[in-house]
Amino acid sequence: MNMPDPIYGLIYIFIFPGFLFLFAYALFLAFLDRKIAARMQQRVGPPFFQPFADFIKMLGKEVIDPAGVDRAIFDAAPLVALAAVITAYLYVPIIGNSPFAFQGDLVVVLYLMSLPTLVLFLLGWLSRNIFSAIGGIRSVTQLFIYEVPFFLALLTPAMMAGTWSISGIVLWQQKNMWFVFLQPISFVIALIGLQAKLERTPFDIPEAETEIVAGPWTELTGRRLAIMDLAIDVSMVVGSALIAALFLGGPMIPWAVTPIWLEGVIGFFLFLAKTLAVLLILSSIEVATGRIRIDQLNDIGWKYIAGASIVQVGIVLVMNYLWGSA
Amino acid sequence: MPILSTAVSGRRGSDMPEVVVSIGPHHPALKEPVNFKVVVDGEKIVRLELDLSYNHRGIEKAAEQRDFVRVLPLMERVCGICSHAHSTAFAKGIEEIMQLEIPPRAQYIRTIIAELERMHSHLLWLGVAAHLIGFNTLFMWTWRDREAVQDTVEEMSGNRVHYGMNEVGGVRRDLTPAQVTAALGRLPNLEERINKYVDMVNYEETMLIRFRGVGKLSKEEALRYGTVGPTARASGVDYDIRKDDPYLAYADAPWSVVTDTNGDVYGRTRVRIWEAQESLKIIRYCLENLPEGPIRVPAPKHAPKGEILSRYEAPRGELAHFIRTNGTDKVERVDIRTPTLANWTSVAMCLVNQNIADIPVIVAAIDPCLSCTSRITLLDKRTKRTDIISFDDLSRRMCSRDHGQE
Amino acid sequence: MSVLREMFENLLSRPITILYPKEKVPVPGAFRGRVAITDEKCIGCSKCSLVCPAQAITMVEGQREVEFKGKNLTRKKRPQVKLYKCIRCGLCERHCPTGAIYLKNELSCSGTDREMVVT
Repeated sequence: MNMPDPIYGLIYIFIFPGFLFLFAYALFLAFLDRKIAARMQQRVGPPFFQPFADFIKMLGKEVIDPAGVDRAIFDAAPLVALAAVITAYLYVPIIGNSPFAFQGDLVVVLYLMSLPTLVLFLLGWLSRNIFSAIGGIRSVTQLFIYEVPFFLALLTPAMMAGTWSISGIVLWQQKNMWFVFLQPISFVIALIGLQAKLERTPFDIPEAETEIVAGPWTELTGRRLAIMDLAIDVSMVVGSALIAALFLGGPMIPWAVTPIWLEGVIGFFLFLAKTLAVLLILSSIEVATGRIRIDQLNDIGWKYIAGASIVQVGIVLVMNYLWGSA
Repeated sequence: MPILSTAVSGRRGSDMPEVVVSIGPHHPALKEPVNFKVVVDGEKIVRLELDLSYNHRGIEKAAEQRDFVRVLPLMERVCGICSHAHSTAFAKGIEEIMQLEIPPRAQYIRTIIAELERMHSHLLWLGVAAHLIGFNTLFMWTWRDREAVQDTVEEMSGNRVHYGMNEVGGVRRDLTPAQVTAALGRLPNLEERINKYVDMVNYEETMLIRFRGVGKLSKEEALRYGTVGPTARASGVDYDIRKDDPYLAYADAPWSVVTDTNGDVYGRTRVRIWEAQESLKIIRYCLENLPEGPIRVPAPKHAPKGEILSRYEAPRGELAHFIRTNGTDKVERVDIRTPTLANWTSVAMCLVNQNIADIPVIVAAIDPCLSCTSRITLLDKRTKRTDIISFDDLSRRMCSRDHGQE
Repeated sequence: MSVLREMFENLLSRPITILYPKEKVPVPGAFRGRVAITDEKCIGCSKCSLVCPAQAITMVEGQREVEFKGKNLTRKKRPQVKLYKCIRCGLCERHCPTGAIYLKNELSCSGTDREMVVT
């Protein structure tokens, strides 16, 4: 692991492809998601600057503290969620390998991406409000149910590539085949797990608007809501970038191209294309289904999804034994 | 303000503290104010208290002060979705007291508007049920197809709700041949879409998971709690006023009563979407066979003394108007028993032992129309208290007041 | 499956939303819009005022010579409709003997004066 030049490092972290690009891309993906959903329902949908305008507007709104609620935690919790996901972003390959890659950064990214759910549970529990409490409990229950298959599904590429680093897995795919062809079950489970992590239909049980008002989001107002929304949008980018890197080959092309900067540019456009493909699949799932109940998710999750992920792990072990790991 | 409450008890809770979740009066699941105070244990409902009557407007009293021309717009505005139902039931009752025979063309026009209203109501309901389970796509699609019905009604009557077609003695405006052709032209596309929704209801996985087995009512329970309309017909009770006590043009048109044997929300969904198909048949028959002739007969200004119970099959069930006249040009008493009021007990009964997530689905399955429901007022202004009174108490008070007047 | 196919068909076709007010909404001829009074035809019989369920019509001073069924009358009053109380039920149009008061095809306008009247 070699540390890059400090100036380039700072530009990488803060500007491109760092946080500024990340926020712009997160808001753009949020717009695309709403536009695709609207067109599928034969509506017009929002204009392209809508999520950006929502963010700015929400920052200026009044912050309402319910009686008896701990204001310091309510102010800090959305920031913690946002900080976790933008840190996770640094380890995902965007133009070529991430300069901060190290062995085990896959595990770090997965744990950092679970933080927003725990923050939602905390907010739900601390709003002194029955709807938020129910929503927070549902949020953590859902986390328990989908987390095991999701982690297993993202583990199988690492098992086959023989490395714990996301950039290492991308390099392996550059020499061999994309994992979406080698491990299709994992790909499907990873998509389902990502949909559940982002709390979108059919897994938007914690935020079920028609049943428990807004669940743990009920008492978030003003800038807290803006930052929490942004955290979820950013985790959409990080999640789809993770799946694009682990299953669809990331920003690498199978042959070397000179000069180096052209390889970076092509890689960046590949990154955009692959994350957009993942977003299209996630949006289609959201439009085509309705919400299921938490006890039904319990049934389906433990019976079918966890079972399928264990079957996939078994298949990968057999394949590793038969063909050796590269 | 909560006036009539029912307390329904499930199993007695153990020594866990009781958590009361108050669904309403303002809640995203409800379209109109009603208060369910639900006592839960985890996600299962243990006990339930119900408060109605947040929407009381005093229409029955206001109707006593308006003569027969001015009272019909008031009766229309009891409800937005079933407005033609209330106005027709009232006009039908008054015409029967006056012993007026309205011409067949007026009967057919009233039937056409009534069935168009039923179709729009059922399509709206399907969209709302889909929205409550988070399936917003079906919500957008059904409301898009409902626009065809609304366009037809707007062409015929001038307004999308509150059609204003009725007057005592017939119908206010006629259908021109251009309107009939335009309406017939919209029907094939609508029929195709409704057939698609019938398929979707039977095969779409998310709807099946959320609707099957939820809020089950057996046939004996449906009869015991007095449920009416699609809620009862989904439990196998074969009761439809249009066939049992025919009025308007229902005896002429070829159609059949729709029943189902699952008593749950899935059954009610199927009954409603099949009823929309039957309505389309009735509309097509009436539009093609519209008889010629006048559209109204002149009605006398004063009605003879009499009492009548006028029944009508509204989209939500059996609507009953009890009208008493006393020889003047106004009614003396009109009492409206709406189908939603009859169905509330069944909601309270089948909510026990279900999940919180099922509350909106079960409540929506009876198609509640709370603007129609509030018809009882008892205020205790001196002590500023609201009381839960038993049914015997209520009937004793009502009878003593009536006897005092006579 | 039919849901998925319809979703992707819709994605590739135009939305059905009418972008009002850029595109115009087709208004049917029988639409019950704003109240209007033709002063020349009104004979001041007050039927509209009596029959209005919202009590939105009052009769005010309005002397005029009108002709009705071949006879010349001097009417004393004419109707004045409070535009924002009107519920557009059309009973006035139905019961007017000369067709002087009627409902136009256009929407009731928006304004800032709650007491706005149409005469």
